[in-house]
Amino acid sequence: MLDGLLPAIVDAAIARGASYCDVRDVERESELVDLQDGEIESIERKGDRGIGLRVLRDGSWGFAASARVADEAGLRALLDQAARLADAARTVQRRAARLVPQAPQRGEYRTPLEQDPFAVPIPRRVELLRAADDAMRGPRVTTRRGSIAAYRTRKRLVTSEGTDVRQEIVESAAGLNIVAVKGGVPPAIRGDMRSARQAGWEFVEELDLVSLGARYRDDAEATLDAPAAAAKPTTLILDQSFLALMVHESCGHPTESDRVLEHEVAFAGTSFMWPKDRGTLRYGSTHVSITADARVPGGMGTFGWDDDGVPATRTPLIERGIFTGYLTSRETAAALGLVASGGSSRAEGWQHSPLVRMVNVSLEPGDRSYADLVGEVDDGLLLESPASYSLDDKRENFHFSAQVARVIRHGEVGGYVRGVGFQSLTKDWWGSCDGVAADDWELHGFLTCAKGEPLQSMRVGHGAAHARFRDRPIEVRA
Amino acid sequence: MTTTAASTLLGVDALLDPLQRALKGAGAEGAELWVHRRRASVVRYSHSSIHQSAASDELDVHARVAVDGAVGTAEGGSLAPDALRDLISRAAALAKLQPANPTWPGFADPAPYRAPHAFDAATADLDPAGQARAIAAICASLASGQRAAGTHSVDVTEDAIANTHGVAAYAPATVAYLRALVQGEHGGAGYADDLSRDHRGLDPAGIARRAREKCELDHDRARLAPGDYEAVFEEDAVAEILRFVSLTGCGGQAVREGRSFMAGRIGEAVTGARFTLHDDALDPRQLAIPFDVEGTPKERVTLVENGVVRGPVHDRTGAKLMGTRSTGHAADPDRYARGGHAGNLVMAGGSATREQLIGAVTRGILITRFHYTNTPDPKRATMTGTTRDGTFLIEDGRIVGALANVRYTMSALELFSGIDLLGPQRLVRDWWSTNGMGSIVCLAPAMKVSRATITGSSPA
Repeated sequence: MLDGLLPAIVDAAIARGASYCDVRDVERESELVDLQDGEIESIERKGDRGIGLRVLRDGSWGFAASARVADEAGLRALLDQAARLADAARTVQRRAARLVPQAPQRGEYRTPLEQDPFAVPIPRRVELLRAADDAMRGPRVTTRRGSIAAYRTRKRLVTSEGTDVRQEIVESAAGLNIVAVKGGVPPAIRGDMRSARQAGWEFVEELDLVSLGARYRDDAEATLDAPAAAAKPTTLILDQSFLALMVHESCGHPTESDRVLEHEVAFAGTSFMWPKDRGTLRYGSTHVSITADARVPGGMGTFGWDDDGVPATRTPLIERGIFTGYLTSRETAAALGLVASGGSSRAEGWQHSPLVRMVNVSLEPGDRSYADLVGEVDDGLLLESPASYSLDDKRENFHFSAQVARVIRHGEVGGYVRGVGFQSLTKDWWGSCDGVAADDWELHGFLTCAKGEPLQSMRVGHGAAHARFRDRPIEVRA
Repeated sequence: MTTTAASTLLGVDALLDPLQRALKGAGAEGAELWVHRRRASVVRYSHSSIHQSAASDELDVHARVAVDGAVGTAEGGSLAPDALRDLISRAAALAKLQPANPTWPGFADPAPYRAPHAFDAATADLDPAGQARAIAAICASLASGQRAAGTHSVDVTEDAIANTHGVAAYAPATVAYLRALVQGEHGGAGYADDLSRDHRGLDPAGIARRAREKCELDHDRARLAPGDYEAVFEEDAVAEILRFVSLTGCGGQAVREGRSFMAGRIGEAVTGARFTLHDDALDPRQLAIPFDVEGTPKERVTLVENGVVRGPVHDRTGAKLMGTRSTGHAADPDRYARGGHAGNLVMAGGSATREQLIGAVTRGILITRFHYTNTPDPKRATMTGTTRDGTFLIEDGRIVGALANVRYTMSALELFSGIDLLGPQRLVRDWWSTNGMGSIVCLAPAMKVSRATITGSSPA
C-alpha cells in the first residue's frame, strides 16, 4: 500500500523546504538454528518491516523511522517528525551538510544464488549441525556450539532527486565454537564469529562444517597440551581469517571519512590518516595494497547501490603501502572536497540513518606462494583466527591474540604453542609485512560491525591471503 | 518514579492486553509473548555542530511456544491479533520440528514483582529542541579555540510479558544520556558524561566544565614506559573493568562451562577485601525494570563480597542445569549470552573525594576512560584497552602532566586486589554500553589502586 506513496512523500518534503529527502522501505527476515552440545538450543524466525525517512533542511539532517507507518497520514507524520528533528539540529549548526552530485538511479539488484537458504528444510540444517557437533566432540571439549543462519533484506530507496532502486539481498552464514578445558591452563576456545557470505545454501555446504568441527576440536585439544610460546620477537604468518579482522580494524575503520570529519570522535573515534596525508603517508610496506570494492561477488559488503543511491564502485585505500583513499558518502565526500561519493553510505535496517560504513575492504593478493612464505621462515609462528582484539580511538595502536599458534621451524609448520598475543602501532605492523600470498586469497564476511549511535550492526566483507610479518614482538599469556 | 503517563508511551493496556488475548488461543502446552518497544531520540554533535538528529520507534514481539518439551521461537514487529496468532503458530511449527529438550525448564509461574522505578514522564516527552538546547549550552561554554562533540540521547522503553501460566508484567523505563568531548586547538581532549533516568539529572554546564578542565590539562603529552603504576580509575574506567567481570564471569553458563573466574572457587577469596559487587536491578538508583524477559522477578545477587566469590546470576535454563532457581537474569538472547546476564552492577564505594584519590598517589596515572576494550584471558577476567580523553601523570599527590594514551592489560581480580581507596558511587556505563552494545549499567566508584599494569603507549 505504501509503495505508491513513496515518490510523493519525498516530493512533499521538497515542497516544504527540504533540499533533499530520501525514504527507505526495508523488510528483513531471518532464520537461525542454534545447537549446543548436540541439543537444539533454539530455532528462531524473525522479521520486521519499517520506513526510514531522511530530510536535509538548511544544511541540517533529520531522520525519523517507524514500523507503524500504514498509510499516507503515517508517512506525513514521519515527514513532520523528520522536519522537526532537522529544525532542532539547525539551532546548533556551525557546519552545514551538503551533498556531492549523484545522477538519478533506477533498477534492481538481487543476490545471485544457487539455492535459497530459506527453502532448505529445517531438519536438514539441524542434521548438518548435529554432524558437525559429533565432529567437535573431544575428550576435554566441554562445550560445543553450532549455528546456521539465513537472512533476506528487501529494500526500496526513493530520493527527491529521482532515484528509485530496489534490492533483494540474501545472506547465508554458519559458525562453530568449542571450549576445551584442562586443569592448570586457560581454557582453549576455538571457533568463529559465524562465517557469512552473500549467497545461498551452497555457501553453507562449501564450508564443510564437519571437517571444520574436527579441525577446531584438534586445534583446541592440541592447544591445551601445548607449551607456552617463547616470548621473543619473531616472524609471524597470519591466516586469512585473522587478516580479515586486522584489515577491518586497522585499515577499514581509519579510512572511514566520517571518523576523519570527527562525526564519531566522542564514541567510535577518529583516525591517524588525515586528508593532508593522502598520497604521501606510508601506511605499510610495498606489499600492502588494500581496496574497498562493493562489487565483489558474494561479499557481505556487496550491493547494487548504497543508501545514498550511489552505484557500487571500487576505491583503492592503500596502494603499495601508500594511503590514497577514503570510504565516503555523498555528505562526507562533499566535506572533503571530493567530486563524487565512493558509495559507502549504509544503514542497518529501516530504523537507522545511513553512516559511512565499510563495504568489502580487502588485502590484495601478493606475488608469492603461501609455500614460499612459510618455506623462507627459519623460526616463526603461524597464527590462525583472532581471539581477542582491542584498538585505540585513532586505530593507531592495537592488541590482538590468537586462537591457534603453531611453530614454524626451518620452513615447515610444526607443533602448537599457546598464549600468543601481540600489540603494535598500525604503521609499524603493516610496514613489517614482507610478503602476501598470491595463491590463497579468501573472502570472509562479518555480520556485526558495530558503529553509530544508536548502534548499527553492519555486514562487511574482507578478503585476504596469508601474509608474513618480520621481527614482531609477541606477548605470551599462559 | 513520575507516575504521569507520557504521551509517548503506548501503555500497559496497549501492550499487555493483545498478548494476553493472543495467548488464550495459543492451544499448545504453553506459550510466552514478550514485547519490547524502544523509542530512541539521538542527537549527535561534533565541531560544536549537530550532525545527526534521529528518532526511531521500534517494537519487537518475541514468541516462545512449547510443544512436547521442545521450544520454538519467532519474532515479529506487530501487535495486531492476526500477527500475534501467526507468530505463535510459526513458533509452534518450529517447536514441532524438534525432539524434546531435556534442559527446557518450562515457563515461569506468576510471582509478584516490585513496582517499576526507572521511568520519568518528562524525559519521555523531551522533544529534540530540548536535546539541542542541552548541546547548545555545552558549546556555548567553550573557551576560544575549543570545540565539542558528543551525544544527547533519550531512550523510552516499554516491556510487557505474558505467558500461559499467568505471568503478566509491564514496565516502562527512560534513559537520558549526555556526553561531551572537548577538544583543544593543539590536540588535547577531555571527556565527561552524565547518565540518568531523568533528563533533568543531566548537567550540561557540569559536563562542559569537567571536560573542559581535562582538555586544558591535556597538552605536551609524554609517553609512559610500560610497567606497573599506582593509578586512579575514574568511574567510567571502573565500569569498563566491571564489564569484563560481568561478561566473562558472572553468568551461570560461564561458571558451568568452566570459563568463569568463579568456576570452582565459590566461597574463596579472589580479590582483596575492599571489593564487593552485586547485581541489583532493584536498587532505586539503577536503570532497570523489575522482571526479566522470562517474566521472573529480578533479585539482588551478591556476586563477590569482600573479595569472596558468592555465585553467579541465572536464567531459568541455566538454573535448571545448575540445580538452582532463576535469579531473574534472563536477557534478550539476541544480545546476551544465555544462562544469565548481570547487567545492573553495583560496586561498593567509599567516601574518598577525587582530590583524596589523586592525593594518595606517589607516582602513577589517572585514567578517565577506555576505548574498545577486550579480554585476552577471560578466565582471569583480564581486560586490555587503551585509555583516552584524559590520561594524566600523578606525582606526589597531584597531576603534573598529560600522558599519551596508554594500553592497560591486567586481570580485574588482581586490579581489585590492590584497591586502596574508593570514592562514592556514580551511575555510569562502559564504552561499549554507551551505544547499546551488550549494555551494562553500573553504580561504580572511582578508585585508587596500588598497581595497574601498563603494557604500551600510543604516540604522543
